[in-house]
Amino acid sequence: MTTSYVAADDLPTETMPEPERQPNTTERRPRRMGNLVLSVSSTVGLIVLFTAFCEVGVRAGLWKESVLPAPSTIFPTLATLLTKGQFWEDAGRTGFEVAIAIVFGSLLGFAAGLVFWKAPLIGRIFEPYLVSFYAVPLVLFYPVMIVLVGINAMSVIILATIMAAIPMALNTAVGLNAMPPVYMKLARSLKASPGQALFAIAIPAAGPFIVAGLRLAVVYALIGAIAMEFTTAQAGLGYRIRYLYEVFDNNQMFAYIVMVLALSLILTVLLAIVERMLLRGRNL
Amino acid sequence: MEPQGIQIENVSVVFDVQAGKVTAVKDITQRVPHTSFVSIVGPSGCGKSTLLAVISGLQKASSGTVSVGGRPVTGPDPKIGVVFQEDSTLPWRTVEENVAFAMQIIGTAKDARRQRAKEAIDLVGLSGFEKSYPSQLSGGMRQRVALARTLAVQPEVVLMDEPFAALDQQTRLFLGAEVRQIWARTHQTIVFVTHDISEAILLSQQVWVMSYRPGTIIDVIDIDLPDDRDASVVSTPRFNELHNRIWGSLQAESMRGFKQQEAHEKVTT
Repeated sequence: MTTSYVAADDLPTETMPEPERQPNTTERRPRRMGNLVLSVSSTVGLIVLFTAFCEVGVRAGLWKESVLPAPSTIFPTLATLLTKGQFWEDAGRTGFEVAIAIVFGSLLGFAAGLVFWKAPLIGRIFEPYLVSFYAVPLVLFYPVMIVLVGINAMSVIILATIMAAIPMALNTAVGLNAMPPVYMKLARSLKASPGQALFAIAIPAAGPFIVAGLRLAVVYALIGAIAMEFTTAQAGLGYRIRYLYEVFDNNQMFAYIVMVLALSLILTVLLAIVERMLLRGRNL
Repeated sequence: MEPQGIQIENVSVVFDVQAGKVTAVKDITQRVPHTSFVSIVGPSGCGKSTLLAVISGLQKASSGTVSVGGRPVTGPDPKIGVVFQEDSTLPWRTVEENVAFAMQIIGTAKDARRQRAKEAIDLVGLSGFEKSYPSQLSGGMRQRVALARTLAVQPEVVLMDEPFAALDQQTRLFLGAEVRQIWARTHQTIVFVTHDISEAILLSQQVWVMSYRPGTIIDVIDIDLPDDRDASVVSTPRFNELHNRIWGSLQAESMRGFKQQEAHEKVTT
């Protein structure tokens, strides 16, 4: 861990690459741009292809309208949906719940991860529980939540926050513990303050793990919020999907499902941007 | 007594381990004169890194004192620069930012920081790589970055703990020769720990040979090779004589350490 480079890869002085070449600017950028174009165009391409497949499938009678309506029926429904106040209320509520759960879940998880690192004893006591908690479908606790806080946005937010906090805490702790010990030796030799050691060394060093934790936190917040709405809430996208399912309004239900998919797509893209900013310069 | 340089007085370091107490360093009294270059060689596990850690203030001595520039060492001090064996470049910072890092921590003003970072990068021969990230550099280049980071702080003494141990032999000799040239220009006091006899002779004015645990200095050899030597000096007869003498002192110690470790393993397994 401490010697992250391989001696065999080492270049003797004489064969050092010529500085004029500037490997990081001239050679790498075109390839990265190429990657971005490739990933965007392939994503768009796949979505178009899948939509076309669904359309053709229904028209050719491979499956019934009631199983999966044709995109040509779903999209007009979706368009009218976007003009309705109720949709925006539902989307707003879910968005609010997810946003709160992401913010508080990742902050809480991050703080817990820091504590586990700073106080290894606490980490050793609590980490196994967190790891097993990870596997528990927390939605099962909804009756408890209803008793405690009632059927409202709060119960959704609390469970989604907990679900988001767990991977964040574990990843932060793992990232900090995986940091090469020499970094803290460096901090000590320079008489760095605890704040400097934390913000200038430890947190950036654990960066890739923390970002991965954030990624999971976002996903879990979304899953938690939608699943909780499904079971307990009286509003929100998850609730609306279940409601529409119960009244057999297939077209609207799928329109809502497409919206949830769109929401997760937006979150993923935002995450990718954040990740790019936070991990700039590292070849991962 | 001359106040400059490093004065080591009766330094012992005893570690508490499960099996009892281990004396890593025993009663060492030595002096590193101001602006001189001293290497410490010894078998692995002889406590040479521990001695270096005591000089740097990262490790407390169980007894005895170390003073640098006339002031006793009570803890880490940016005036005492350390270059570690492990790769300590920070992967999220460019070469330039890595070199400026130590100055940033100790609060050097921004303008001076930029100027001195540039000088240090030039000094270690990394000009042109300022904007590169460590992941784009070889292991040897990364150790140069770490060296530049330490030099940029302009410490009174520079302590190097086997900085090139993870590199291949050729790179190690080239970097060693470069460290010597840098030292010839900056004239800082340098203590260099290594297990490589050739490296020690090539670099230093004086070589201390350390015994296996408990670590004491069993031999001090003045290296009377020309000051402007480079890696080609390894083929001269005088180099061989010095090498043989150090090897003679070391051989017995290495065997003793080897046997002790073997015996220890038999007891514990």
